Amino acid sequence: MTAIVVNAADTIAHRIAATIDPLFALIDTWRDTLEAHLAEVAEPNAADLDPVISALVRPALDDSSGLITGAGFVAAPGFLPDAPWHLAWWLSGTNTFRAAADGGVRRLEAESDPDAEQFRDYTTLEWWRTPARTGTRHLTGPYVDYLCTDDYTVTITTPVTVDGEMAGVVGTDAYVARIEQELLPVLRESGHPCTLVNASARIVASTDSRHATGALLRLDGLPAVLAPLHEHQGQAAAGVLPGGRFVVPCGDTTLALVFGTA
Amino acid sequence: MPQATSRSDATRAVVFSPLEGAGRAELVEQRLTDAIVAGVLRDGERLPSESELAKRLGVAVVTAREALVALRDKGLVLTRRGRDGGSFVTHDRDASMRMIDARVRALSRIELRDLSLHYAAIAGMAAEVAADRASDDDLASLVELDARADLASAGGARRAVGRFQLEIAAVSQSPRLVHEELRLQAESGPLLWLCLREQAYRDRSRQARVEVIESIRGVDPARARRATTEHIASATEWLIDEKARLESPEQGQQPAPRAEDRRG
Repeated sequence: MTAIVVNAADTIAHRIAATIDPLFALIDTWRDTLEAHLAEVAEPNAADLDPVISALVRPALDDSSGLITGAGFVAAPGFLPDAPWHLAWWLSGTNTFRAAADGGVRRLEAESDPDAEQFRDYTTLEWWRTPARTGTRHLTGPYVDYLCTDDYTVTITTPVTVDGEMAGVVGTDAYVARIEQELLPVLRESGHPCTLVNASARIVASTDSRHATGALLRLDGLPAVLAPLHEHQGQAAAGVLPGGRFVVPCGDTTLALVFGTA
Repeated sequence: MPQATSRSDATRAVVFSPLEGAGRAELVEQRLTDAIVAGVLRDGERLPSESELAKRLGVAVVTAREALVALRDKGLVLTRRGRDGGSFVTHDRDASMRMIDARVRALSRIELRDLSLHYAAIAGMAAEVAADRASDDDLASLVELDARADLASAGGARRAVGRFQLEIAAVSQSPRLVHEELRLQAESGPLLWLCLREQAYRDRSRQARVEVIESIRGVDPARARRATTEHIASATEWLIDEKARLESPEQGQQPAPRAEDRRG
């Protein structure tokens, strides 16, 4: 019986990873292209770099059936001499943040003057901080992003490195509502109660209507099982909680499936 | 006899009521005035063009133009012609002070209390939910926000309150509460936090933050809500006292220390 349940949980976890992995893969190709480009450029500047970024992310943003609602490059402070704080970030037509009537792809207007009231030091935000600390890609959220999407969002970012120095991050935003729409049928298919959480035990989607997306899943032993995901200490192992539930990591998405047997 | 109308009639009436009501130019004017008076838009800053402003605010160009004319008449905006022309903010501290005093006088006590209640409903609920939903990382960023707060000036203290409240709303994980928090900050922030002109209230705002952080640490939603709504209530009491002071016959013969307190 247990083996059957574990197999079912593994299958669902794989399918969840398969939904998120294409976003990871896409961002990795952006990083590779950008790193190759920057290696060729003697003195990078915002004016030259912006069209390159735009061309890179535009196809993904034009695809209105995709999960992506925003994408681009955020420079490390001071990396670009002509733009000390620089966000080269574009929003898709499905993004509702300051959308105009025509609703096409548009650039995010971010405050780049550190003295301005609306200025945000993005190096303090999780989507910057964590990849900067770990040197690897990171899934932030679900969170309410009042900087770029104005909605309930998941952000995936990965560092861009030039000569061993972090030049910035490339990344993408996706609406949690869309992700839930994609993942809920997969969760339900298992026939078992299950909840998808991030590394902080925050609920991304659940078959249990009492578990709200955004709330923390408070279960004995769960933080300990999720700790390796949270600290980016490689692949987390599956675990069993005191209550008998299984926790199965979903590939390297940093998400985990909490799988009941009831 | 409005009490006699059934609930569904009332709901239907709301469905078909005008979306923004009349006086949209006044709304645009008020929002920009508040932003200039509060220092959100800085002295010398160029405002978006009429058409850009209209697009961003979702109003007609003629409405945006009307609002800019009113701002020019108030002396808050200067329009220059030519290639480097446009509308520029002229932020005069004394003029701003007079203007905000005029706004405090113009609003009734009932309106001020209602505004405070509305804000407390949103901020209090956000704090309550945040106390349940905050992760350790969320808690760490709230602590950091508080540590960075500049309590030496009214502007610094107000920015700290605004940033903290916004982060609390974000921690509640509700896009609607975040939207409403932002909207209310723009609409009533400059008025509600006038008390931060006084150092005692800046210290009080710090205490409120610490109390909310401790409530979140202890996963105590009721305490987080109470600390938030009591903070807003005390700011409102100050505002109503200030209104009474502004309206008293002795106004204008204030002792010097008062002016000292009010320095931005």
